[in-house]
Amino acid sequence: MSSSHDTPSHVQSTLAISPLVQRTGANRGSMNRNDPIGNSQGRNVEGGRSNIPQIAQTPHQDRSPLVQKIRDVSHLATPAVMRHNGTAGSSLLASMTKNGLFGPALPSTLRKTSTSTDTVELNNSTNDEDIDHASDNVFDVSDLSSVEKLRLWRHDALMQHHYKTAEHIGDLIYSMTKDPNDAFWLAQVYYNQGSYVRAVELIFTDQLDSESIMCRYLAALCLFKLNKLEEALDIIGDTNPFQSEPSSPGNADGGVKLESSMCLLRGRIYVSLSNMEQAKECFKEAVQVDVKNYEAFDYLLSKHMLTTAEQWDLVRSLQFDDLDDNEEMMRCLYISRLSKYQHQTEIEHARKVLSDKYYLKDNRTVLLAEIELLNNQSKFTQCMKLCEQVLEVDEYNLEVLPIYIQCLHSFAAKNKLFLLSHKLAENFPKSPVTWFAVATYYLCMGKVSEARKYFSRSSIMDPSFGYSWLGFAHTYVAEGEHEQALSAYSTAARFFPGTHLPHLYLGMQYNRMDDLSLAEEYFMMAYDMCPTDPLLLNELGVIYFKRQNYIKAKKYMKRAHDAIKNMKSESKAWISIVINLGHTYRKLGEDERAIKCFKTVLESSKPTATLWCSLGFLYLRMKKIEKAIDSFHKALALDQGNQASNKLLKTALEINAHMIIDENHPMVISSNIQNIPTSHVSKNDKKRTSLGITSFDPVTEAKRLKQGISDHEGDSMDIEQ
Amino acid sequence: MERLVFEDVQQQLRQSSTDLSRWKLFQSSKWSAEALMGMRPTDSEDSLSADMSLATDGDDESPLKKRQILSSRCVLLDFCDNENQSETLPDVIPLMGKELDLYLLASSMFDCKEYDRCAFFLKDTSHDGLEFLYLYSRYLLWDKKVTESTEDVMIKDPEIFSADLSESLQAAEYGNDAEGKCRSGISLSNRDVDVGNGEKINLPKLHHEITDFLEKNKSLSKLGTALLMYLLGIIQKKQGVPSGAMSYFLKSLKLYPYNWTCWCELLSCISRTDESILLLKYLNDNFSIVKENGIIHEHLMLRFFKLAVFKEFGGDFDKYIEELGEIMKVFPNFSFLRAQHALINYKYMDYANAEIVFDELVTMDPYRLDDLDTYSNVLYVLQKPYKLAYLAQYAANVDIYRPETCCIIANYFSSKQQHEKSILYFRRALMLDKSYTHAWILMGHEFIEMKNSHAAIECYRRASDVNPRDFQAWYGLGQAYEVLDKHSFALYYFQKACALKPLDKRMWFASASCYEKLDKTVQAIKCFQRSSQLSGEQDISILYRLAKLHEKNNDVSSCKHYMAKCVELDEVKKAQQIDEIGKAKLWLAKHEFKHRNYSDAYNYANGVIHGTSQEIEEARAILAECRKRIDI
Repeated sequence: MSSSHDTPSHVQSTLAISPLVQRTGANRGSMNRNDPIGNSQGRNVEGGRSNIPQIAQTPHQDRSPLVQKIRDVSHLATPAVMRHNGTAGSSLLASMTKNGLFGPALPSTLRKTSTSTDTVELNNSTNDEDIDHASDNVFDVSDLSSVEKLRLWRHDALMQHHYKTAEHIGDLIYSMTKDPNDAFWLAQVYYNQGSYVRAVELIFTDQLDSESIMCRYLAALCLFKLNKLEEALDIIGDTNPFQSEPSSPGNADGGVKLESSMCLLRGRIYVSLSNMEQAKECFKEAVQVDVKNYEAFDYLLSKHMLTTAEQWDLVRSLQFDDLDDNEEMMRCLYISRLSKYQHQTEIEHARKVLSDKYYLKDNRTVLLAEIELLNNQSKFTQCMKLCEQVLEVDEYNLEVLPIYIQCLHSFAAKNKLFLLSHKLAENFPKSPVTWFAVATYYLCMGKVSEARKYFSRSSIMDPSFGYSWLGFAHTYVAEGEHEQALSAYSTAARFFPGTHLPHLYLGMQYNRMDDLSLAEEYFMMAYDMCPTDPLLLNELGVIYFKRQNYIKAKKYMKRAHDAIKNMKSESKAWISIVINLGHTYRKLGEDERAIKCFKTVLESSKPTATLWCSLGFLYLRMKKIEKAIDSFHKALALDQGNQASNKLLKTALEINAHMIIDENHPMVISSNIQNIPTSHVSKNDKKRTSLGITSFDPVTEAKRLKQGISDHEGDSMDIEQ
Repeated sequence: MERLVFEDVQQQLRQSSTDLSRWKLFQSSKWSAEALMGMRPTDSEDSLSADMSLATDGDDESPLKKRQILSSRCVLLDFCDNENQSETLPDVIPLMGKELDLYLLASSMFDCKEYDRCAFFLKDTSHDGLEFLYLYSRYLLWDKKVTESTEDVMIKDPEIFSADLSESLQAAEYGNDAEGKCRSGISLSNRDVDVGNGEKINLPKLHHEITDFLEKNKSLSKLGTALLMYLLGIIQKKQGVPSGAMSYFLKSLKLYPYNWTCWCELLSCISRTDESILLLKYLNDNFSIVKENGIIHEHLMLRFFKLAVFKEFGGDFDKYIEELGEIMKVFPNFSFLRAQHALINYKYMDYANAEIVFDELVTMDPYRLDDLDTYSNVLYVLQKPYKLAYLAQYAANVDIYRPETCCIIANYFSSKQQHEKSILYFRRALMLDKSYTHAWILMGHEFIEMKNSHAAIECYRRASDVNPRDFQAWYGLGQAYEVLDKHSFALYYFQKACALKPLDKRMWFASASCYEKLDKTVQAIKCFQRSSQLSGEQDISILYRLAKLHEKNNDVSSCKHYMAKCVELDEVKKAQQIDEIGKAKLWLAKHEFKHRNYSDAYNYANGVIHGTSQEIEEARAILAECRKRIDI
């Protein structure tokens, strides 16, 4: 890989060639130096402890001149600089430890600073001393060679987004040195300007892509941006060329390995080519090559590319030890992002460690993990609260927004959805999330065709955006177009093997079409993925109910109920689960339990005629005629056309008329109760005895009546556990 | 001793009135204050009144404790003083520092009816009183929004109404609500209300919030817990779980008995006499102390409650009057008691006395419109249209926007046979208060007058939904269905009415006729028997129908027994001629003839004077026949 002009190898990051990174001798090992002022770009990066020999690029030995420069500027207090320093200042300084702040997770090649030479002692010293110390070592820019000065100029211009300046100076340097690294930086400038073609041209005309692996990467990236996917793939290779090479243990410079970046890019190209299988492998490779490649990891998870088992395999195979003392934190962070279907204790543990040990309670990634968990458990109220907490800080967090939109939909919060989608459309017209929000709004409003239009727009923008696919399929369901819905769901199932939802919905569709065996097959597939989803358990219960296997149905319903029990009326799912459970009990002849279920639902949700009708039926079966009649009346009050209620009501009334008026008849008992207080009046005595009752106690009678005609089943009995 | 109790009561009423108004339970607070003012002046009038003039200004210090001049101070500041004594006064809600400020803010917003704002500012409180205010304002918010968003066919504008009604009520015979919407009470209770930002309020949620709060905070003040329990009860009641609501109300009352609305709500949770008996037994066990000498000392509030229960469910009348008299002695100027007296007279159909008591009530507390609608009923029944007109004018002058006023006016129009206007005013009353049972029932009566059974059924149904304790609604339903020839329906409702009023012969009679129509002879006989037992004097028509039923049942001897009874009774009374007598005599004559008792047959047949020509012909034939046979 090395040529006369040394470019970084695939195991390095671009830190190796940053003009700002101080070169220390290979023999010096890793040395840290304190940075007196949390400097311009605000980050320390571990120095390029490279196996590459020193090159003329960085003649200054001890301290990056940029530091000096920025410190000067900071006296001028330009707003830009102030912003950089805003969070830093002395407190940042004080908090720095030996390996304190360096930026392994920052993929950019541009955020470079010097590292510290001095160690802990300096950290403990006061600020003044730092400055004194620093001023001893101040570099004079004039010490540098002219090319070096130009490089600094170019770099600073790029940092401050003066692309014209950077372009001209970069061009100048390149003409002077013909160094591929300088070509890379020039191309980088082009890239940042958005003139990808020029970057590609530059790299190709000088055939730098063969010379420098970095240039090759950049060229491929530019081609990718230009949507020339095949060409990009040609350049970058359709598999990892370094695969066979023994991976070097540990990363040299703390940045992200180029090899990993290339794998990521390859993966993204495959995604665009809709080759999910390959893309998945590439992403996996990317993160396996360098654990710091969070983006690849994120792709894998947010696009639901991995099944739960695969996710865990992947995380277990990752080499977190590259991260030194951040190892545990990052491991926990990664684990907390995994799918919440299984291994919940481990995820919970990871979250605990993050929030307790590292005080990252309010970190967005940590919160996101929690939000996903809540969403998965259908605890929408809490989920929405948390989402709002995140969005308050970061209004357009595109990771949280889709879940938030789902929550809003589940609460039918039209107004909020309206505002949100407008805001998004204004600010992110190119994001699939925006159009997902718009579509969801229309779905809320019941305008299915519009909703479908926007769902499809969203999924065209990013075919790997799962939410839109599902929404798109839902619109067909809403219109009763089973076939289309099925095909949309199965596409989603193919694209997103990591989520059980498509299978669940497929199963629901088949269930609706009364194809029970197919439905069951799909449910079982979903069940293998996520055995805890109450909705899924409910659907399974329904299948068995339809097959008249009520025992099994009860088993599943009860599990579903257990899973969702604590949420109560918060979700519609809870209500349907309890209703289903009630019907199962009814079929099994456990009348009291069934009544309990129905009554719970009636207490907490909008009543329906069928529900009252079922309740009435149960009362009728239990010979509680009065209750039954009342229930049927209520059913008919809600829906006058309810045939079943009508019939049953007539039956009940007939039975009522048939009832013999003996001393157990409610009418007689209540009249006896009222008679008692006046019993000392002699003429009433006659009346009472004439009814054939000689002595009684009103209280016991009242109790008898209560047991006879009212339902007292609910008090001690709970739904069977 | 007696005096101590008396002062104690005074003290507690005073305290409760302040407490309750602080926590925005205005009706209860008003009741307490009225009771306080209605109390008999004590012997030590002078000294006490001096105390009271200071104390009623808002302070709750017991007159027995160290007296301070507090009148100039603000109530809440006093409360802060009291805070120091919170160990000794665990039943008040302490308000300190920031909480006090927050309370002032929330309270003023609440008073301005800005419930959203009130709730918003109280969102994160952990103070029990403020938490109650928070939840209460949210509940009221929910209630307000639900009521506003509900459109009710029955109380719409008359033009739309009549058009709507004719369509929608045609199918109403099975008790269907027009378009199935907004059947009061049921479908309302589980609505979600959007607070504007997507957050929903619904009752189950509120319920959970309160129970969570109560679980989390164990060491709450008595009053705070009582208030929250009360709110829980109201929510449960709205959710349609009266048994749950009842237990919450009872818990609340145990902690804080001076909340009269809570007692009323408790009463509204029971719908049958048997339940009232059980409840009273429970209350007797829990709210009265047995003194050493064996005298049971009942809690004052329980005594009031018992009066209310009696009014609703009946019971021992003499005992009731005695009790009422005793309480009246303590609270001679308490208009509530006077009203109760009047109402009970009305209920027992002693209209003349009711009128007298109402007159007293009006002079005593002229601007109290509560219960005057019943007064108008009394006047209506007594047919005093001029007095009724005066009352209507008077009430309208006091406050035209009170449901009672509208009801009085409606009654006036009804007495003038202007049913449409009457309905208009009833509808107005219902617009102001949808849960006004009285107006629903009376409107139902008006519809019956106008021969609109379907609309009447709807009205009665609403009434029974709101207040299932009122037999009138059930009875009305029964009658309306009877008109429609739906006897099994009618029977069911008559049964319900009968269960509420088992000592009323009309109920039994109505049920019996339904049984008769349904060909359930045995049941019909039982009901007729019961009915005739209950009527003081025998009724010939009932006896005749009984006889007929027995005949149908092939029980000739019983039939004969009743027929004979009919004739006997006729001989005793000798009053008016009724068709049944002739028929009975004819039947007996035929019967005796069959059994060859020709002389008896002759006697009976001889008595048939009135009746259709056919009957008389038959009687003559028998007579002729008998003469022949006797001659032979």
